[in-house]
Amino acid sequence: MSSPDTNAEEIIEESIEPQEEPIIDEKREAFVASIKQDLGSGFIDSHIDPEIDVWIRVTQEAWLETAKILFEKHGMNFFNFLSAIDWKPSPFGREMDAAIDNVDDEVAVETEMEWGVAGGEKRFQLLARVHNPVANMGVNLKADLEGDFPEVDTWTPVYPGANWHEREVMEMFGISFKNHPNMVNLYLPTEFEGHPLRKDFPLLSRRAKPWPGIVDVELMPGENDDETEESGEET
Amino acid sequence: MGLVENGKLPGPLTKLLNISRKYSLWVYQWGLACCAIEMGAAFASPRYDVMRLGVIPFPASPRQADLVVISGTVTDKMAPAVRRLYEQMPEPKYVISMGSCANCGGPYWDSYSVTKGVDQIIPVDVYVPGCPPRPEALLEGIVLLQERIASEDMTDRWNRDPIVVT
Repeated sequence: MSSPDTNAEEIIEESIEPQEEPIIDEKREAFVASIKQDLGSGFIDSHIDPEIDVWIRVTQEAWLETAKILFEKHGMNFFNFLSAIDWKPSPFGREMDAAIDNVDDEVAVETEMEWGVAGGEKRFQLLARVHNPVANMGVNLKADLEGDFPEVDTWTPVYPGANWHEREVMEMFGISFKNHPNMVNLYLPTEFEGHPLRKDFPLLSRRAKPWPGIVDVELMPGENDDETEESGEET
Repeated sequence: MGLVENGKLPGPLTKLLNISRKYSLWVYQWGLACCAIEMGAAFASPRYDVMRLGVIPFPASPRQADLVVISGTVTDKMAPAVRRLYEQMPEPKYVISMGSCANCGGPYWDSYSVTKGVDQIIPVDVYVPGCPPRPEALLEGIVLLQERIASEDMTDRWNRDPIVVT
């Protein structure tokens, strides 16, 4: 009885082994090569998750040109989103956490910048995603931005949907967009000062009264401690 | 009638008018966040049936409303609109603040964009706690407000200076 089972396991193992070789995603490799050729020095780095996704990092100057190439040449006519990342470690560390949350776990406070896939050099990175619904392939784009209040070309001539996204990036990160048709706050009041999604934006309420920590969480059913069980039996 | 303005309104008449007022509260629904779902359940569903309490939940504009229910998160950007809404309502006017967000900011107590309590902008008569409050809680808030209206001295209410939040 045991021999057929072992045979079956061996067969499964054999069939799995060849798949462990790195998958080469020819479609995305060719796509990245094409972008690299078109952009030239504007292309910096790329990262491919085979059969899943692709990241491309370009220079700040090549940002608009990249959008044009993607839209016109690669059929990426569906705009998913445009946002930004502030890679600066929080200058507040865990200062604004509750004392109760700082006792048990000793989480190291980040002091140096670390970037995600496709790398990075500067504090601010633009992040956008566009999609080709026919070929069912999307691409994530990143661009390092120079300076504390960077300025970059708007995508609205290519993707009109980027309009509101760029306004949100402007108010949240302080990144302005050249030639944008309506560069005013989207969500925040007009007179709002500061850029809330920057890492160095302080939550003043927490300065006045620190976050109390997770102190009043109700137990899930079945997680009762002994006291409640005993009281349950009494009633 | 002039009696109210002169301060010569007889007690029984006050009581009668108060009962009339408390059972014809035209309520303006000002749903700003998830509390609006519970408010919709309380106001629009036959299960809770707010009209049996004499609350009429469909004025077309705040200018026809006696009561406004601020249900949900008031942001700093929304605050001027809430203030204008309140100023458009005719006296006597009442406000119910529904849910933790409208009461004090609730889970957004440390947010950069949320007004920590609608009572910073407009005077509030009844606070309904909860996140979100059940429809029954809102109904109890309305009943409390009706008790308050029933015991109100109309002469005082009409002639006193309006409550202003600065």
